[in-house]
Amino acid sequence: MPALRADSRDPQGGFEPLEGGCDLPNIMNKLLKRPLSLIYSLESDEDGRQIPLRLLLISIASLVVFGLVIGTFSWQEQIWAAPLKIVSGLLFSGLICLPSLYIFACLGGLDAKFRTIVGVLCGLIALSGLLLVGFAPVVWLFSVSSTSITFLGFLLLSLWIVCAGFGLVLVFRAGRALGMTNTAHLTIWCGVFLLVTLQMTTTLRPIIGTSDHLVNFQEKKFFLSYWREQLNGEYEERDEREEEPGASEL
Amino acid sequence: MEDPQRGSLRICAILIIAGCSTYGFSIGLRNGLEMATYVAIKLPAIIFLTLFLNTILNGMLGLVLGSGLGFRQSLQFLLTGFAIMSVILGALSPVTFFATLNMPEPGAPGSMSWHGANLLLHTIMIAFAGILAHYRLLGYVREFADTRRAGTHAFFAWLAGSLFVGAQISWNLRPFFVSPGLEVEFLRTDPFDGSFYEAVFYALKNVSPF
Repeated sequence: MPALRADSRDPQGGFEPLEGGCDLPNIMNKLLKRPLSLIYSLESDEDGRQIPLRLLLISIASLVVFGLVIGTFSWQEQIWAAPLKIVSGLLFSGLICLPSLYIFACLGGLDAKFRTIVGVLCGLIALSGLLLVGFAPVVWLFSVSSTSITFLGFLLLSLWIVCAGFGLVLVFRAGRALGMTNTAHLTIWCGVFLLVTLQMTTTLRPIIGTSDHLVNFQEKKFFLSYWREQLNGEYEERDEREEEPGASEL
Repeated sequence: MEDPQRGSLRICAILIIAGCSTYGFSIGLRNGLEMATYVAIKLPAIIFLTLFLNTILNGMLGLVLGSGLGFRQSLQFLLTGFAIMSVILGALSPVTFFATLNMPEPGAPGSMSWHGANLLLHTIMIAFAGILAHYRLLGYVREFADTRRAGTHAFFAWLAGSLFVGAQISWNLRPFFVSPGLEVEFLRTDPFDGSFYEAVFYALKNVSPF
């Protein structure tokens, strides 16, 4: 077992045995308050085996709730398709990024069990998912107020980047606590992970709005060009209607 | 015996209703008693709806940012901040009453300029009360958080969330000032058509030369 040390850059530490057992409410609580205690248990305890599974359950439940809220923008088939696409898209993104996370972590000087790396990745997704649930009422407010797919899409992507940012900070903290000496590799991995999740939104389109096809795997597009097309399309449609709301009235 | 925290929440809620309703009444009074009553109801409603929609998020942000302030504490702090702001607004409302009573009626010559002046006056007043109240709140949050740094981070995260959602809710609950030529009503016929940010974006696009 590698030498476990307290995270020197974390003033609160938190890299300590998990208190309160491995039940779901406690894991959710610790994920928000002291996430490094989960990483400690993953690396050192026999009970730690259950933690990735519990984190996975939290991820799925959170993303289903968030997906349902997004589905209320279009209703119809999107009410079940959006949660399904979000859960499967994010879990698939995690799965294809797992080997690179393990290799990059090892290159950075980390000597941890594969189970711990799986747990760190599950922790990243679970924490992001929980925060997305926190944003769900805000998303609901905008989904009932706005009819613009571009605006809602931009809002959702911004929220995803914020939430994923918190999750990625957890990955760095875990890496340092587990003895990682060089974080450059992990920085690259974070970029790759974000890129994959952003591309997934285009691969599984439409996640918001409606379309004749539930998924469109035939037409391959890079997410930036797809977003540009969407933005230009909405501009032209708006210009044709010549109905631009003014900000003058409050 | 009553739980002191619950009692404190109730006092904060009463202060918000009293302060914001009084101030809201003075905002709407320029367009008659009907509009004054509407704004007196809607102004505190903005605060409560914003807090309600952000409760889960604020609690999570407080914990994730390491402040040690959970769901109840974050709600307590934000209610306190808004209560201080409401007390300041309530205290300023006699001044705004006086200003409103000295403005010409809507429709009178030069009413467009007076509408602008009224808008500017209330924007300055609300911004002043908001900054003062939240500056005090920042001190309390820093004191109660596990570390000053974590407290500062949590405070600004809450503030950003409140501003972001509050702007949209005030857009949904418009009108407040009733632009010249528009009718007095509780809500516009299309309260959920469009968002504040889209409106700002298109307004900027309209004035932009590009």
